Amino acid sequence: MAPAPEVGARVRARWLVGLGLLCIFLSGISARAATYYITIAGLGGEPDYEQRFQGLAGDLDKLLKDSGGDLHVYTVSGKDVTRTRVNDIFATVAREARSDDDLVVILIGHGSFDGAQYKFNLPGPDISGNELASLCERIAAKRQLIVNTTSASGGSVAALKKSGRAIITATKSGTEKNATVFARYWIEAMRDPAADVDKNEAITALEAFQYAERKTADFYESQKRLATEHPQFEDTGKSDPVRAPSTESNEGLLLSTFTLVRIGQAQRAAADPTKRDLLAKKEALEQKIDKLKYEKAAMREDEYKNQLTAALVELARVQQELDK
Amino acid sequence: MKGKAHQARTLAAALLAALAGASLARAATAEECQSLRKHGHRDQANACFQSLTQAREPAIRAEGFWGLEMYQDANNEFRTAVAQSAASANYRIRWGRLLHERFNNKDAADLFQEAIQRDPKNAQAYLGLAQVSADGFDNKAVEEAKKAIELDPKLVEAHELMANLALEDSDTKVAAAEAEEALKISSDALDAMAIHAAIEVLADRSPDAWLAKVRQVNPSYGEAYALVAHHLFLNRRYDDAVAYYRKAVEADPKLWSARSELGINLMRLGQTEEPLQQLEMCYDNGYRDAATVNSLRLLDSYKNFLTFRDDRSIIRLHKKEAELLLPYVQTEVDRSIATYEKKYKMKLPDRVQVELYPDHEDFAVRTLGMPGLGGILGVTFGEVLAMDSPSGRPPGTYQWGSTLWHEMSHVFILTATNHRVPRWFTEGLSVHEETQVSPEWGDRVTPEILVAIRDKKLLPVAELERGFVRPEYPTQVIVSYFQAGRLLDYIKDRWGDDKILDMVHSFAQLKTTPETIQQNLGMSPEEFDKQFLEWLYKDLGKTAASFDEWRNHLKELAELAKEKNWDEVLKKGDEVLQMYPDYVEGANPYEFLAEAHIAKGEKKAAAQVLTQYEKIGGRSTEALKELASLEQEAEDPKGAAATLERINYIYPMDEDLHRKLCDLWFDQNNPAADVRECNAVLAMHPLDQASAQFDVARAYFAAGEPDQARNHLLASLEAAPGYRPAQKLLLQLEDSQKGK
Repeated sequence: MAPAPEVGARVRARWLVGLGLLCIFLSGISARAATYYITIAGLGGEPDYEQRFQGLAGDLDKLLKDSGGDLHVYTVSGKDVTRTRVNDIFATVAREARSDDDLVVILIGHGSFDGAQYKFNLPGPDISGNELASLCERIAAKRQLIVNTTSASGGSVAALKKSGRAIITATKSGTEKNATVFARYWIEAMRDPAADVDKNEAITALEAFQYAERKTADFYESQKRLATEHPQFEDTGKSDPVRAPSTESNEGLLLSTFTLVRIGQAQRAAADPTKRDLLAKKEALEQKIDKLKYEKAAMREDEYKNQLTAALVELARVQQELDK
Repeated sequence: MKGKAHQARTLAAALLAALAGASLARAATAEECQSLRKHGHRDQANACFQSLTQAREPAIRAEGFWGLEMYQDANNEFRTAVAQSAASANYRIRWGRLLHERFNNKDAADLFQEAIQRDPKNAQAYLGLAQVSADGFDNKAVEEAKKAIELDPKLVEAHELMANLALEDSDTKVAAAEAEEALKISSDALDAMAIHAAIEVLADRSPDAWLAKVRQVNPSYGEAYALVAHHLFLNRRYDDAVAYYRKAVEADPKLWSARSELGINLMRLGQTEEPLQQLEMCYDNGYRDAATVNSLRLLDSYKNFLTFRDDRSIIRLHKKEAELLLPYVQTEVDRSIATYEKKYKMKLPDRVQVELYPDHEDFAVRTLGMPGLGGILGVTFGEVLAMDSPSGRPPGTYQWGSTLWHEMSHVFILTATNHRVPRWFTEGLSVHEETQVSPEWGDRVTPEILVAIRDKKLLPVAELERGFVRPEYPTQVIVSYFQAGRLLDYIKDRWGDDKILDMVHSFAQLKTTPETIQQNLGMSPEEFDKQFLEWLYKDLGKTAASFDEWRNHLKELAELAKEKNWDEVLKKGDEVLQMYPDYVEGANPYEFLAEAHIAKGEKKAAAQVLTQYEKIGGRSTEALKELASLEQEAEDPKGAAATLERINYIYPMDEDLHRKLCDLWFDQNNPAADVRECNAVLAMHPLDQASAQFDVARAYFAAGEPDQARNHLLASLEAAPGYRPAQKLLLQLEDSQKGK
């Protein structure tokens, strides 16, 4: 693995070109670390919601467990959801997770916001945003992601945000109180290859967010309903939530490096020492293509096209060799 | 009557003389000022109204300000007058009339109702209510106008209104009689003269004699021409309507209501520049009714539309969906023109303009100048047709392809008859044509139609027109569309397409419905109704008779499905389905049965029932996608592609749909369809550019267009340089080029 500072420098350069390209390189770092998934489906209140929330949690649980990799999946829903059970799961993860592991917490269900405090609805006492933050604090994993898909989830950002922790919420504020559909599309993102926009065979949190955000908007548009949820994220720990990544504020940087699931065999070649030269050549070509794209605006169209074609053809031939 | 008119003219002359002498022995009354205006003495009328503004009584001052078009002052004075005389019905009526004139029908109606509470026998109050109802084509207008006449048989305006309402219903006889009645009471009843003129114009006779009489009373009475124009518009004679609105504003350049209608009707003819000028002039002069303001907003929004022209059509689509929709819309426009040219044995003289609106309210404004319009999906103005875009309605509720063919039939029939065709016939023919394109298209028999059949509410053919214009019950318009469609189905079944064309020609020669039926079908309208109903009841009588029973069974079935009692659903579902097979709306037996079969693992049976649903015209995009998945699983890609293609005519704004079709057509080696569907994915600006661009490249490569393929491949790899399938195709392209 390359030393961390070098990787960081490359990240910066690529960040300028496009967030999507980052994970190709950073996935090497996180590949050896484990990811801990805690999925909690809260109180439905009505049979329809109860069924829907449990169904979503069940789908996600199965998807994660089937995806392979070093994933530790904890899912709780239905009658099992109690404060005690939630506390137990967080305590287990706190015991097991190391600092270079990743933590992903997903909340599915109803939330509420009284103007000051967000609460996730559970049977019995609810859990507040501050309490949830406190549970996450006890986990050593330096990179954390909380995906709060509940109604009013936008009200949880203030309590949860901190450096190294990315927060995604289904609503833009605590006042968007209607039941949400974001969770459905978040889960769909992890099984739809179309979510993998850079085709590196891994779905990052940023890709999943952009996919789910788009699908959520399409849902309201197609149903001719006024949108009652506006997904957003915050991953710098110091800003207000946003709806799109920005190279200026670095919003989206952490999400773009947070691999949720792998959907192919991208990392197989990296382990083969006989292919190191080819891999180096491949990386050099990728950098050349990034640079070309960066310089596109300043080039003549035909010149850009010719150079891009040449580099892409060469890259394809290298990849062909690597795949042998 | 002559006496009364003579008296009015004498009074006006006396008043004129007095005004010319600069002083009045007594104060003028509002009626006298209005009489001056009615007789075209605008300056003197203004002086008269000016004098009223100095009166001590607020109600009189209100009349003065109103006459001077100082509406806010008039409104304030009426408010004061009403506050001072809580019991007065007349002040409320006059205030209501002002508000009605100034586009506030709700408050106007409230004031008329308050007046009736104070004076239940006040004819003017009922007349006011009737005028408000007439604005909205509300059937109550006729009853209210009748009530006004009953209370005051000499109320000229009420007779004029009755005449107008009758003419709107195409009842020329009653219209003429009521206009005559008004003229008997007052020989200078200008609107009654205008009604007579309109009757003449609609019958293609000269209205000159009547219009000359109007000019004799008041040379600048533009309202008479505007009234004629209004009826021409209702009869779909848009060019003629525009010509009369022009005459109206020529007679009275400050007749803003007519100028606004002129602008709106020019828009209906597909123009934009002159309508903008006319409507802006109205707006700048304080005429800001909803139709004027909405139409100006719509004109402004045209900057968000793109226009595509070829030899035969002009297609206007919203920017955000133009790229996606154009291939589908263009194909159907071309196909429908070619089909109708052959069928109706004619060619259109000009290009057809087709406009699709993603916002239903924009479409409504395009149609009437007002939002609303509920269930109306499309409308034709001569050679311009406007309709909802498929994105304007939720998926599964609207088949845009069917609507486009419906409207296109109108374009031909209106052209063939020079717009002289009754609404029932052209609507019926358009509904009939929808199912000729595909038996799955067109609207199914809905519950409200069945109830109307059961309750014997279908209208005689000779009266069917009023089912469209002034419905007597909320669903009568839908029922009338259905009835008209079935009438044409019946004519085609029994006499053939040529007879339909013969009827078109009869209408073009201004034959009435009874004459056309007698002449072409060889029987009286009454006999035709009798035989048609026998034919219809053979088909639907049993379903209609058992409607209540079916509804109860369907409720039970829905409960069973909710409880996931699949065995019972399967046991009872088919019986419910057979009772009313046309029912494909929400909670239909087809989908319950399919769900039950799937739950029990019987995928083949589920596919069978969904195929039945598809063939009978089911439109739920979810159900059709489910069927396509089942067909794919059953290794029937051809069936799956055909099923998904149906959704293109219902709700094509679905990336997933086009992705699936893109793959299916590629696998079935259909490059043309593959290129179209892969490009549709791209047109939806997907997040996954790499695979979308690759799919297009692959399609072009298969279609033998390597240059296009290369461009899209580069775009794919530019987004994701390591995308393996695109890399492979790039190398394949390179190698094939070297091989050359």
